[in-house]
Amino acid sequence: MERSEHGNRSDTNTDYLFPLLCFLKLHTYTRVQVSIDICGVDYPSRKRRFEVVYNLLSTRYNSRIRVQTSADEVTRISPVVSPFPSAGRWEREVWDMFGVSSINHPDLRRISTDYGFEGHPLRKDLPLSGYVEVRYDDPEKRVVSEPIEMTQEFRYFDFASPWEQRSDG
Amino acid sequence: MFLRRVARPLMMMARVKETTGIVGLDVVPNAREVLIGLYTKTLDEIKAVPEDEGYRKAVESFTRHRLKVCQEEDDWEAIEKKLGCGQVEELIEEAQDELKLIGHMNEWKPWGIPDDYECEVIENDAPVPKHIPLHRPGPLPEEFYKTLEAVETGTLKQAISASEKDDPAIASGESQAK
Repeated sequence: MERSEHGNRSDTNTDYLFPLLCFLKLHTYTRVQVSIDICGVDYPSRKRRFEVVYNLLSTRYNSRIRVQTSADEVTRISPVVSPFPSAGRWEREVWDMFGVSSINHPDLRRISTDYGFEGHPLRKDLPLSGYVEVRYDDPEKRVVSEPIEMTQEFRYFDFASPWEQRSDG
Repeated sequence: MFLRRVARPLMMMARVKETTGIVGLDVVPNAREVLIGLYTKTLDEIKAVPEDEGYRKAVESFTRHRLKVCQEEDDWEAIEKKLGCGQVEELIEEAQDELKLIGHMNEWKPWGIPDDYECEVIENDAPVPKHIPLHRPGPLPEEFYKTLEAVETGTLKQAISASEKDDPAIASGESQAK
């Protein structure tokens, strides 16, 4: 459990995720009825590299809580669609962007990437520009995807300023 | 005609709730009976939980308190005011959810945590950058507390007339706006 200025967070094991969220939703003194967001974070240096973050809101008690679980590429988390129906799309996004899939998810498809896109964009090992580029090919009269050709080399800006950084800058 | 004249004073006894004010939450006319039924059922079902579990103690304590209040008070309005936990329809929803939860808990059985188990609390003192909004409500103005006190002690009208003497322009402006 972490207590900070940002808010309260709680870490849990993937086995107990679904019971914990059901408890938070149904118990009289924690009526957390709304799931605001489910997102993932990639920490490549960790063994279980992904962290799935559930942001929840209790309208009854006007409080928010953040629940985090860790997962690696092959761990499958249980879907929380039955207590929180809006989680359907969030979990699809976590699957699409990170590759963390769910067991028995009612509808696990890609949501933000292109049809036929390979890879999971928000992982740290996928480069910013991706691997393929698409263009419309007039002779073939359709969109083709080809390996990327960039006319300019990717430039890296080092934003460290020679001036001292001010705290409110 | 005579029936109506007789019926009206009787209807004044228990005010009928017209709407809960919440979309999708219908008024339950016999809320008190429904609540008593749900709470007795909850106290029954919680017996399946092992005796010294914190969950059982918590559920029993607040369910007993709410059941006591429901049985003492006859009127839904009195129940709402005494419990201070929102409308009776919301209480019904909470009781139904708690029943579902007891069912789930009996299925998962998260028991057996020793009493002195303390989960690790990490105090994160990292300062928040200034441009990020912290959802922290500011202190309420003093007038709010004064008014609250006045409402609780029943001296609201005196407080209003006292403030009217100080600022007659504002008071007349308010009455015109109404």
